[in-house]
Amino acid sequence: MAAWDLSVTVEELGPEVPPVTISVTSDLHIGGVILKLVEKTQLKRDWSDYALWWAQKQQWLLRTSWTLDKCGIQADASLVFIPQHKPLRLGLPNGCTLRLRACFSGPMFRTVLGVCKMLNIRRPEELSLLRPLEEKKKKKKEKDSAEEVYDLVEVPLTSVSQACLYNGMPAHFADSPKTEAVYKMLSVPQPAPPPELITKQYRPASVVDKAHINSRWLDSSRSLMEQGIQENDRLWLRFKYSTFHDLEPKYDAVRLAQLYEQARWAILLEDVDCTEEEMMLFGALQYHISKRSLAEPETTNSNTAMDDLESALLSLEVKMDGDSNTANDLLDNMAAPELNDYLKIFRPKKLTLKGYKQYWFKFQDTRISYFKSKEESVGEPIQQIHLKGCEVAPDVNVAGQKFLIRLLIPAPEGMTEIYLRCENEEQYAHWMAACRLASRGRSLADSSFQSEIQSIRSFLAMQKTSGNSATPAADDTINTYSLVSPRYHKKYKAKQLTARILEAYQNVAQLSWTEAMLRFLQVWQALPDFGISYVVVRFKGSRKDEVLGIAPNRLIRIDLGVGDVVKTWRYNNMRQWNVNWDIRQVAIEFDGNINIGFSCVTADCKIVHEFIGGYIFMSTRSREKSDTLNEELFHKLTGGHEAL
Amino acid sequence: MAACSSGWVEVEVEVVVVVVSCGGASEQRMDDIDAMFSDLLGEMDLLTQSLGVENEAPDNPNIPSPPEEVNLSPGFTDLNASLHELEDNDLDVLMADLMADLNATEEKLATDIENLKVPPAPAPSAGQPPPPAASQPPPAATLPPAPQGLSSYNASDPVSPVSPRSEVSTPSSSSQSPAPPPQHAKPSMEEIEAQIKADKIKMALEKLKEAKVKKLVVKVLMNDGSSKTLMVDERQNVREVLDNLFEKTHCDCNVDWSLYETNPDLNLERGFEDHENLVEPLSAWTRDTENKIHFDARADRYEVFKNPQNFYLWKKDKQTLKDMKDRDKELLIEENFGGTSIIVPDLEGALYLREDGKKSWKQKLFLLRASGIYYAPKGKSKTSRDLVCFVQFDNVNVYYAKDLKSKYKAPSDHCFVLKHPQIQKDSQYIKYLCCDDPWTLTLWVTGIRIAKYGAALYDNYKVAVRKTTLASAWTDRITSSSNSSSLTPSPPIKGHGDGRCSSSTPTSSSTTVLRGCVMPPRLLPPGRLPSAFPPPAPMDSLPPPPPPPPDDATEAPPDFLPPPPPVTTSGVASPLVRRPSRPAVAPPPRGGSRGSVKNQSLPPPPPDPEFLPPPPPPINISGGGGGIPPPPPPAPPPPGPAALRPTPMVRKTGPPPPKRTTPVLTGGGGEGGDFMSELQKAMNRKRGGD
Repeated sequence: MAAWDLSVTVEELGPEVPPVTISVTSDLHIGGVILKLVEKTQLKRDWSDYALWWAQKQQWLLRTSWTLDKCGIQADASLVFIPQHKPLRLGLPNGCTLRLRACFSGPMFRTVLGVCKMLNIRRPEELSLLRPLEEKKKKKKEKDSAEEVYDLVEVPLTSVSQACLYNGMPAHFADSPKTEAVYKMLSVPQPAPPPELITKQYRPASVVDKAHINSRWLDSSRSLMEQGIQENDRLWLRFKYSTFHDLEPKYDAVRLAQLYEQARWAILLEDVDCTEEEMMLFGALQYHISKRSLAEPETTNSNTAMDDLESALLSLEVKMDGDSNTANDLLDNMAAPELNDYLKIFRPKKLTLKGYKQYWFKFQDTRISYFKSKEESVGEPIQQIHLKGCEVAPDVNVAGQKFLIRLLIPAPEGMTEIYLRCENEEQYAHWMAACRLASRGRSLADSSFQSEIQSIRSFLAMQKTSGNSATPAADDTINTYSLVSPRYHKKYKAKQLTARILEAYQNVAQLSWTEAMLRFLQVWQALPDFGISYVVVRFKGSRKDEVLGIAPNRLIRIDLGVGDVVKTWRYNNMRQWNVNWDIRQVAIEFDGNINIGFSCVTADCKIVHEFIGGYIFMSTRSREKSDTLNEELFHKLTGGHEAL
Repeated sequence: MAACSSGWVEVEVEVVVVVVSCGGASEQRMDDIDAMFSDLLGEMDLLTQSLGVENEAPDNPNIPSPPEEVNLSPGFTDLNASLHELEDNDLDVLMADLMADLNATEEKLATDIENLKVPPAPAPSAGQPPPPAASQPPPAATLPPAPQGLSSYNASDPVSPVSPRSEVSTPSSSSQSPAPPPQHAKPSMEEIEAQIKADKIKMALEKLKEAKVKKLVVKVLMNDGSSKTLMVDERQNVREVLDNLFEKTHCDCNVDWSLYETNPDLNLERGFEDHENLVEPLSAWTRDTENKIHFDARADRYEVFKNPQNFYLWKKDKQTLKDMKDRDKELLIEENFGGTSIIVPDLEGALYLREDGKKSWKQKLFLLRASGIYYAPKGKSKTSRDLVCFVQFDNVNVYYAKDLKSKYKAPSDHCFVLKHPQIQKDSQYIKYLCCDDPWTLTLWVTGIRIAKYGAALYDNYKVAVRKTTLASAWTDRITSSSNSSSLTPSPPIKGHGDGRCSSSTPTSSSTTVLRGCVMPPRLLPPGRLPSAFPPPAPMDSLPPPPPPPPDDATEAPPDFLPPPPPVTTSGVASPLVRRPSRPAVAPPPRGGSRGSVKNQSLPPPPPDPEFLPPPPPPINISGGGGGIPPPPPPAPPPPGPAALRPTPMVRKTGPPPPKRTTPVLTGGGGEGGDFMSELQKAMNRKRGGD
């Protein structure tokens, strides 16, 4: 067979060096080509990760047993000999950028698997890569230079391990302080972003805007190189399928943190709509999470610590009881703590405007009693107020030295409104904390009393600093504007916003920050619009564009004009779906002989196809916690004709 | 006085039984009991001493409690009053229940140290700390009185710390308990000793806590118009109370059975959720309340889990929903309840809202979200950001409202209400909403419950289903084993009012039989609540007729078989089941009967022959009493029941009553100002009548 010259560019030799030419025959297989090539370069190194890339055809030559003939390679082909794994800049859900070595040659799905394995994210099938938003070029460059980039490129792929260290950190992060810092960035929520950052970011204003975002997902069945991604390019790693299987804080530190970050940004940027009350709750949770995650960085240990504490308490209980004579002492010692102080009370009644009157107040268990004076506090109280089940609201203005506690006390006849006026912050913090606990039926002896006081103090501090933005905020205070979407920046003054978030905050203040993240995710997932990915399509027989919403369990047809849901189809009624790749149309058949067909306007129909197939794949995952991923099935369901 | 002395006699009898039963259980238990027993004796001494002093309180039992001081000492007078008003069988039933409660407490180890800090219960208790109540702390003590009216229960103010009881009951019991048990007998292994010690400590702790536990006497109206009187303590959730009722009533135990409260002032009704504590909502009732608690089957209760499509896909056409396959239903439940987040049905629609203070109803577009109910203000879109929050669910419950059309001129009678549970009278803080049709109403009420209770609702359902399957297994057996079921309710009663019990029991059992055939449980309309209540009094103990009613025929033969008591016992002892270790050690002879009973509570079947050995003679006396039916009861039992009579008595004596009784009796001696003593009095009265 006739020999001919094949020229191959070897990246390793440097950009200036001309392509290496080797003499081959058409029946030489790819492995042989590589062997010849390596011999010719005279370079001694590990070539195992290298493979041939066919530049014109934009494809890899990975099957080493195929002959040149079979691959269709002739003398005019320009091949490049390059590593399959290259550095990639990954934009994480938390906004940080991470450089790491990713696979450029396998199907993108496998690339994601590799990345997730390195980052210690379970259930990688839920994530995918997409191209970042094209922001204005200049700005981006400036930003890039300033941006801190976390680097994991040095972590050799072979060392990626499943084994975790004592604190849940995988061993390969333990190499250096630098990599440990990376792990911390991954597993702990970021501090609240400055409000300007939120305002500056792109916010989709309509369903169509949201639909455009979905055009940027990469194809999971083709490699990065094949999709035009170059070394050191920037891609976003995001949770794509909104079904988060088996979320377990114990193993999912990174997954949970990143998911929370994605949810947080979805809320802040109004990617998912919510009501004002919900926004305040999200704000309160964010506040709580930022606070707590700063304060107690060791999450994983906290659980065991709690257990210990519990058992300690238990044994204490036993011990105390073991002393036979202590039953009385026990009771005495456990005498519930009280608060005693002069406060002013005001009961708004119809048409009367009596002012505040001062009494001696006593807070015991879950009730408040008040007396004319301290001296008379041994006798019958003037009145006793039971706080269990009541509503507590703050009415505070630090600058004006106004510290009011507004109580709405339920009674058989209705609710009674009472205001308590405190003199100063400290007094307010204590009494407010006590009222809050009592409203939930807990007494002052509750372990959370101190932390409740603490959180009220810090909220007061927040009001102080956000009151006059001229003074730079201390580092442990958080700007309330960082916690809500820009819409509310306009709607409320910082003070008002603080009060509203504080209101929502009292329901969540007891959570650990992991619990708070889970709660955040729960509330997020309970939003009506959660988990719907939009694509603009044109239905068969219709002359206008409409929006197709793809949810984890159903497809939704949305009228663009009104924004109303026209129809929904559930996957479990789906008989089959087909994609005609030539005319780029999707056709779906449902039970009861219902057929729909549409062409995709804003996204490639492969993306739509992948979404549907992906969700069906997700639903096949069993309840059992087997970790084996059925990769083949995923490709079958999402691959389209390439897969076959 | 004669009554008293007989009471004492009985004490001894009872005590014996206790010991026996323990012996039947296990060695460890035996030791415990011994220790407890010695404790008890000590306590009894204490008590008798204290009785003199405390008895003064009871002297003026009928004085209505002062209005202002309600919180402080209301329980007392009320208690007496209510006790007087209770009919005899109420007493019986109550006693039976107390027994159940006794066992329950024994079992439960509240882990919450906080309980210790709960202020002590109302005064009367102090007077009568039930002495030997072994594990059972003074039930009466904490007992809030029954309301004056017939009404099902009375609210006591949990918080009022008036009584200086601490000196009397609690400390003494606790301090004593640790007293060295007479373990010498069988301390074979150190482990056992340690175990025993731990048990003792637990028990002491338990006692401490128990002393502070609030209890209510609750009259539950059955769907057949009868009622049952139960004692419910504040740690019991609705599920436990339901289970209790199941065992007393032999309904089919399906998931629809529920407890619900009705508020006639406001025309409201709300089914309690299984995880709720029953005492809590009841505590919100006012003293003079007409509110009632009902036990009945409610189809809407868990409908969402039976037909989720009707809630989650309500927009789809009816036919599709009807044809929904089971698999698809499961999937729906999985989707909405199986994930990390509970999904609330996506409800929106025009509802009528009663304007504050006005008589008019205004239509608005309301939307349900997990975070609350919202409405779209006029002229605004219904996108999330424009919605106005109407109510959030943290502090309100959702109620069905009846007949608001006539009461408040509502557009329809399909209304629901959101209010704070403590609000009992009409108020501007109650939110009234009106739907066009009953189905929409169910949709909204269910949707709100899902939003409010979330995963708990589904968990409740799963437990309820488990109970049902368990129960059906039971009923099979029971039916096969004959009439046992009809008899079951009575046994616990036996323990206390011997004479009375027996008399009432037969009647009831016979009635049950009769009724059982006639009336399936669900027949009765939900709404009706006989407020003027004294219904067929004797039937209190009656279960709502079980769907598979026992025939007379069935009844006859199996009489001898012991099955019935076990059932009861199991009801009583249901908490026991949870107890980890209760090896059935071969008990001493007499223990046999008791022991077998206990065992049976776990595994339903084997009726021991030993069972038959009838209990001590005194009972027979009661049997004599039995001949005289309680005043209000319906026709006396037909021949069949008569035959039955002997059997039930026998059984009754055997099992549960023991511990409880003892305290009562003591109380009787002291002519108790307290609940137990009142009971005792009632019994004595009864006996005198005989």
